Amino acid sequence: MIRRPMTRRGVLAAGGAALALPALPRLARAQSPVTLQLSWLHSVQFAGSYIAQERGLWADAGLDVSLNPGGPNAPVEPPVISGDALVGISAADYTAAAVEQGAPFKILMVAMQKNPFVIASLPGNPVDAPADLQGKRLGMALANRPVLEALCTLNDVDIDAIEMVPTQYSAAPLLNGEVDCLLCWETDLPVAMAIQGVESRTMLMADFDYSVHSQTYIATEDSIANRRDELVALLRGEVQGWDAYRADTDAAAALTVETFPDLGLDLETQELQAQRQVPLMFSDLTEANGFGWWTDDTVAANVETLALLGRSVTPDLWDRSILEEVHAG
Amino acid sequence: MSLAADAPAGVGAARPRGMTATGLIVIFLGWELAARALAGAYLLAGPTEVAVYLWQNARLMGRALAETLTNAAAGFVLGNLAAVALAALALIVPRAERAIAALALIVFCLPLVATGPILRVVFGPGAGPQIALAALAVYFTTLVPLLVGLRAAPAAWFDLVASYGRGRGAALVHVRAMSALPYLFAGLQIAAPAAILGAMVGEFTGAERGMGVLAIQAMRALDVEATWALATLAAVTSIAAYAALGALGRALAPEAPPALLAPPPATQAAGRRWGDQAVHMAVVTAAALALWQATPWLLGLNAFFAKGPGDIWAFLVTGAGAAEHRATLGAALGETALYAVPGYLAGLALGAGLAMALVLAPALATVAMPVAVALRSVPIVTTAPLLVLLMGRGAVGTTVIVAVMVFFPTFVACLHGLRQAPGQALDVADSFAAGRLARLVHMQVPAMLPAFFAAARMAVPAAVLAVTVVEWLATGRGLGALMALSASLSDYGTLWSCVVLVAVLSALGYAAVGAAERRVLSVYAAEQLAR
Repeated sequence: MIRRPMTRRGVLAAGGAALALPALPRLARAQSPVTLQLSWLHSVQFAGSYIAQERGLWADAGLDVSLNPGGPNAPVEPPVISGDALVGISAADYTAAAVEQGAPFKILMVAMQKNPFVIASLPGNPVDAPADLQGKRLGMALANRPVLEALCTLNDVDIDAIEMVPTQYSAAPLLNGEVDCLLCWETDLPVAMAIQGVESRTMLMADFDYSVHSQTYIATEDSIANRRDELVALLRGEVQGWDAYRADTDAAAALTVETFPDLGLDLETQELQAQRQVPLMFSDLTEANGFGWWTDDTVAANVETLALLGRSVTPDLWDRSILEEVHAG
Repeated sequence: MSLAADAPAGVGAARPRGMTATGLIVIFLGWELAARALAGAYLLAGPTEVAVYLWQNARLMGRALAETLTNAAAGFVLGNLAAVALAALALIVPRAERAIAALALIVFCLPLVATGPILRVVFGPGAGPQIALAALAVYFTTLVPLLVGLRAAPAAWFDLVASYGRGRGAALVHVRAMSALPYLFAGLQIAAPAAILGAMVGEFTGAERGMGVLAIQAMRALDVEATWALATLAAVTSIAAYAALGALGRALAPEAPPALLAPPPATQAAGRRWGDQAVHMAVVTAAALALWQATPWLLGLNAFFAKGPGDIWAFLVTGAGAAEHRATLGAALGETALYAVPGYLAGLALGAGLAMALVLAPALATVAMPVAVALRSVPIVTTAPLLVLLMGRGAVGTTVIVAVMVFFPTFVACLHGLRQAPGQALDVADSFAAGRLARLVHMQVPAMLPAFFAAARMAVPAAVLAVTVVEWLATGRGLGALMALSASLSDYGTLWSCVVLVAVLSALGYAAVGAAERRVLSVYAAEQLAR
C-alpha cells in the first residue's frame, strides 16, 4: 500500500517545508508512519500518549507515531479527513457536527467517560446545582450557548434567568468580579486557580445528566476499512499508556514536563491536572471492560444529550470493533 | 547646517539622552502604577514583576523568542520580497496595477480562522504556517506605500531621463527607486511588529514551541507575570526592529524631498470613468473567483473544509436553507459593520492627529513612539481583556480596540508623509519666519496626503480584522464570533461565506477610500494619479 501518494499538495508542501527548514522527524526504519492529531497543546491531558511513546509501545508494534499538537486555531477534523492524521482526538458533539456536514467519521475510543465541562464558582457565591445558576452572571464563550441550553433543559432551569457574559477562556473575569461563575473544564481553569491559591467550587455537568463523551478518538470509515492493523496497534499503545498513567499520575506529569521543556509547563499544575482527570477517565465501566470502553446505555445517553444540542445522531456514530480487538489482546 | 536637517521632519532622529530617559521613566512609572492599581484582578503585571519573571525564566524565554523571531524574520523577508515583486509587476504592466492591488487586498484580509487550519494541513507539522502567516501579515502594508512611492517623483525628473534618451528602466533606477525609498521604509517599519505578531498567531495552529504557545499557556494558567513578560518581549523586540529600520531608512534616504509639482490630470468624462470602474470590478472579481477555484485543486485540499465558489453559491443562493443562511450572515455582518466603521474613523483621526502633534511638539515622541509600537506588537489577545475591563464589552470597548489596531499604520505612514514636505518649500516658510503650525498646515499636511490615504486604505482590512478578533474574544457577536463557532462545528459553508463577506466588506471600504483619495489628490498630489 502506498502511504503518501505523490500529490500536488505534497509537492508544494515539500517546497514550503524546504523553505521553512523544519526539524525533520527521525527517519524510521521499516516502521509505518502514523500521526495522532491532538486536540490541544501538549500537556498532561495527553500523557497516556507520551508514556506509550517513551516506553516504545508503538515502536515495538511497528508504528512510528507523531503526536501533533492542536491549538486555539487548529481544528482536528481537517487533518483527519485529509489523511494527514490517522486518528484525531475530538469530542462527541464536534464529531456529530462534522458527520452532519458529511464527514465519514466514527468514534473508536472514549478517553473521557464523563464530560469535563463544569460550572466553576467561588465559595462565597457557590453554584453547586444547575438551579443555583439562576440570577447569576455566567462567563462563557457564546459558542457554548447550546451546552448551557442542554443543561437547563435537562434540569428544568430557566435559561433566561442566567446572564451570559462573553469572556475569554480565563479565570480572570471570575476573580475580578466581572462574573459570578464560569463555564470551563474541570481540568484547566479550576486547576489554575488552585495553583494561584484560590479555592473554587466546581459543579460537574456530567453529574447532572449532561452526557457527552469527550477526548474521543476518531478516524475515517476509509481508515477503519483499510488501515485496521495500524489503528489497533495505535489504540493498544494508548490503552497501555493510559493504564500506566493511572498507576502513577505524578510520574505521568513529570514525564510530560520533561518531554516538552519549551512549553514551560509547571510540574505542580500538571500533577494536579493529572489527578483531576482520573475520575473523568476511569470508572466502574472501564474497570470492568478496559480503558476507552462504552456500552449501549452510555451511547443512548449521549444520543439524547446530543439531540438537545441540536445534533441528531444514531448509535452508528460509535464503532467499537477496533477497541474490541485491542482489549481482546 | 542645512535647514532641512533642522526641521521637525527629523522626528525620531537622535535626541538628547536626557529626554529619552525622561520618556522611559514616564512610561515605566505609569505602567507600574496601573499594575498596582489593578492588583488582584489578574490582568496586568508591572515592570518589576515582569523583570523578575524574565530574569528567572531567561532560558525558556530566550528559546521561545529565538523560535518566534526566526519565523517572523523568514516571513518578513518573504512577505516583503513578494511586495517588491508585485510592485515591480505593477510597474511593468501599469494597466494591471489596480487589479494587483485589489487581489493583494483580498488575500490580505482572509481571516485567520479560515486560513490557519488550511496552512497547517498544507505544511504539516513545523514552522510553515507561522512563516506563511507572518509573510501574509506584512506584504500588503509594504506594497501599498511602495506603489505610492514609486510615483512620488517630480515630472521634470522623468523628462530629464527621457531627454537623455533613456527609457523606463533608467527612470526606475534613477528616479523611482530613489523616490520610493522613504515609502518602502515606512512599509518595512509597519511590517516589523506585524511579522512578529503574525508568527505568534501562526503558533495557534498547533506548535510545540514559541512565544505564542507560551502566551496561550500563561493566560489559561492565570500566570499574569508570564503573560506580560511575553507581551513585553514582543513589544521590545518590535520597537528595536522598528528603530533599526528607521535608522537604516534615514541613512539611505535622500536629504530633503523635492517639490513634486505635477500638473493636474486631464479630467475624464464621468461616463467613461464609471465604465472603467465597472470593467475593473469585473476583472478583479473574475480573477479572485478563478484564484479561489484553483487553490484547493492545486493544493489537493479536501472539499469538506476547502469550499469553492460553487459550494458557497449553493450555500447562499440555490441550495436548501439558503435564505436562512443569508439571514444569519446578514445579521452578523450588520453587527460587525456597526463597530468597524466608528473604530476605523477614530483610529485614522488618532493616527494622523498624533503624527501632526509630534511635528508641533517633537519632545512628545519619546513617550508616544514606544507606546505606539508596543500597542501594535502586543498581541490583542493579551491586551483585549485589559481594554475590555477598562472600557466594557459594549460599543466603546470594541471601538477602542479597533481604533488601536488602525491607529498604528496610519500614524507611521503619516509621520513619514509629513517628512515629504519639499525642502525648498520649507525654506520659503523659514524665510518668512513662519511658525511650526503654519508650516504644518500649508506645507507638511498637503505633503502628507498621499501617505495618509495609502494608510487609510491599508487600515480598512486592519479594522475588519480587529473587529472580528474582538467579536471572537470579547463580545461574542458578529462575523468574528460566527466564524469561530462555525469552525468548531465543521460548518465550513458558513465559515467560507463569512470569509467572502469579510473580503467584500474590505474591498468595498478600500474602494470607497480610493474614490475619496482621487478627488483630494487631484488637487494636492496629482503625480499620484498619473497612469
